[in-house]
Amino acid sequence: LTRHAYAGNTAIAGIGATEFTKSSGKSELRLALEACVAACEDAGVDPARVNGLSTFTMENNAENEVMRSLGIAELTHFSRIHFGGGAPCGTVQYAAMAVHEGVADYVLCYRAFNERSGRRFGSGVQDRPAGATTEEAQYSWSSPFGLLTPASWVAMFATRIMHTFGVTSEDFGRVAVADRKHASTNPRAHFFGRPITLEEHQASRWIVEPLHLLDCCQETDGGQAILVTTLERARDLAQPPTIISAGAQGMADDQQMMRSYFRDSLVELPEMATCVRQLWETSGLGPEDIQTAVLYDHFTPLVLPQLEEFGFCGRGEAKDFIADGNIELGGRLPVNPHGGQLGEAYLHGMNGIAEAVRQVRGSSVNQVAGARHVLVTSGTAVPTSALVLSQP
Amino acid sequence: MADQALLRRMREWVGRTGEPQVAGDAVDQPRVRRWVDAIDDANPCYVDAGFAARSVHGRMVAPPALLALWAQAGQPDGPPARVLSLLEEAGFASAVAVNCELDIVRYVHTGEVLQRAQALSAVSEERESTLGVGHFVTTRDRYTTTSGDHVGDVVVRLFAFTPGTGRLAPAGPDPDPAQRPRPGINRDNQFFWDGARQHELRIQSCSSCGERYFPPTPRCWRCGSFDMGHVVASGRARLYSWAAPHHPQAAGFRYPVVVGLVELEEGTRLVTEIVSCQRRFLAIGMPLEVCWLDSHPALLEGATDSRGAITLPQFRPARPPRREDTLTADVLAAGEELPLFVVPSDHDLDVPTSLGFCQRWISDWAGPEVLFDNLRVRFAAPSHAGRTLTLAGQVTTVDAGTGRTAVEFVGFDELGDHLAGTAEVTMPPDRSGR
Repeated sequence: LTRHAYAGNTAIAGIGATEFTKSSGKSELRLALEACVAACEDAGVDPARVNGLSTFTMENNAENEVMRSLGIAELTHFSRIHFGGGAPCGTVQYAAMAVHEGVADYVLCYRAFNERSGRRFGSGVQDRPAGATTEEAQYSWSSPFGLLTPASWVAMFATRIMHTFGVTSEDFGRVAVADRKHASTNPRAHFFGRPITLEEHQASRWIVEPLHLLDCCQETDGGQAILVTTLERARDLAQPPTIISAGAQGMADDQQMMRSYFRDSLVELPEMATCVRQLWETSGLGPEDIQTAVLYDHFTPLVLPQLEEFGFCGRGEAKDFIADGNIELGGRLPVNPHGGQLGEAYLHGMNGIAEAVRQVRGSSVNQVAGARHVLVTSGTAVPTSALVLSQP
Repeated sequence: MADQALLRRMREWVGRTGEPQVAGDAVDQPRVRRWVDAIDDANPCYVDAGFAARSVHGRMVAPPALLALWAQAGQPDGPPARVLSLLEEAGFASAVAVNCELDIVRYVHTGEVLQRAQALSAVSEERESTLGVGHFVTTRDRYTTTSGDHVGDVVVRLFAFTPGTGRLAPAGPDPDPAQRPRPGINRDNQFFWDGARQHELRIQSCSSCGERYFPPTPRCWRCGSFDMGHVVASGRARLYSWAAPHHPQAAGFRYPVVVGLVELEEGTRLVTEIVSCQRRFLAIGMPLEVCWLDSHPALLEGATDSRGAITLPQFRPARPPRREDTLTADVLAAGEELPLFVVPSDHDLDVPTSLGFCQRWISDWAGPEVLFDNLRVRFAAPSHAGRTLTLAGQVTTVDAGTGRTAVEFVGFDELGDHLAGTAEVTMPPDRSGR
């Protein structure tokens, strides 16, 4: 049985974010620094005491630049996680391992970008020159044929899910409707005050069949930081500690980056299953112990197999679980109470970790009553990661 | 301003029939064979005397879509010719066939001499279509043998119009596939792109244990060998999943693009472009076959890496097999779909060739002894030279008692619908008890 030593002994002590906008008017470095300072202020920790940084390989703000401008004298831990949206929960797990091992005392996990006003991920990879490194050459199997954007990569899974389980575009739409309903009461969200209907989802234009515009997340400018330390230190800080009950990374079964099209099944998420096993074994918890979940929602379709992988419903039953209202506030498992990346903002999953912390603290604008254990996941269709965060 | 005097002069010919014109040559086997070879129609009723003798026909017959071929002689003073010359004088100098309908009374045989009588059925008011301003002219040609045996009719509706008066926007230039992203070629995937350049679809295969891989790997993870070779795929596959990007649009593609994940007969999968299939006809599991797009010229002469000439595999609906026995009406139901049929792109799709392929497709599906009662095609747009036509259709009605079965169909290419039509055919009686 897997039992991670940091689990239960480490905590998230602070969260901090910039405004989430479509055009920040600020440099990406400034966004990173504002988020990091806010997380430190939330915890009541002087940024100069931070001695570890953990971020994404895709992050443009190098650790040395962040360290320098935070006034940090020395860093003893800096680590990066690869594979885009698969990274966020992984940065927290690395930080937890570092503080538990005594390699660092306070580790800031951060992600900041002008992803809407600068380079938009949704614009795809058509302007990338053909590269022949092992990683670049994988695009040879998709780009020349017109599969050039994250939406298109996910759409291939969506079609297969529809075919296999009789899922419809309306079933995907219900995820968007729930997220936007939650976002509509969250002042930080792009969709604050703007719930959508299933009819509006269906009427929105095609981005990549079978995905409509309203199946896609909100490209965003902003920054989000998470401060991790030991549970012992966290007890003396400004906020009640949010315990890291378990963290996990996962890759599995002929893993590809967003295009794992060559494994037996396209309707399961084996890399997430690898995380699920570690999370339950490490935390001793199971799906029945989770009161609310932040499930990665860059696009609606892969929310469905996540519900199945974690055992919230049986295989192929997510569409019914969703249609029965279970994922909405007041339901069995409110999903993405902040509105998710479809409704609040696309911060590469980092904003979802912050929402999970608020749920554990009891301070969310859309608070789920009795939220003791909260699940957070990172990207789907990529090598990924996940966390269970808990009340002390 | 419509010319009422012209219309009156033309309409004097409506309802009139010209003198029958006798064909110069009898129906002959060399012309039948040349024609069925050209459209690759292997129905043995046209060419196999032994099979034909045992068939519903009792002897070899000519393909019904060929009816108009047997009496090609012009009739310069017949009513249709008179009206067309009036139109030409009035400036309606271009004419295209917009409908062609064959009504088959009976199939004709080698040695029969046919004659044709042309009647003018109708002339429309002046109309404006996307092609221009003009008149629709409908003719009905009655075909009989020289002994007066009525074998069928051909109804043609032409649109005669003034060139340059149309609203049909010229088609924009085709996307240049050379603007697509090039593949990144390295030592691990070189064999695939070398094969593609020769229009050969290669699958990596372990030289030690034979395990196949896609995408390729330098090491067989089944047996541990680093000795990797390849096998050549048959090119047959089935659709496993698909996605159709609409937005954003990259250079080099016609949007929406249909991207398929296909499972090769050999077991590996491949992402590829699906061509010659509109999205509404995509079905998971549908049979596909490889075709090739020579997409990128070499940037560096002789290079075999990413700078060399690039060829991409694409997949299209697989040519359906020809049925050797003939369906009976009792096994058919309304709504049943005919398999998609991709017409080879090396054909000039004039009216007779288009009709010929419709006939071949329906009889390949129904079987050699299906009898055509009629075949009616409406041409929605002029034939697009160099485009690939795909036929798609379904059964609309079936009468199990008489065997009479109606089929409706469309033909489309990359630019949209090209034709739409119907056919009524008679299936042979159920001979399962025979």
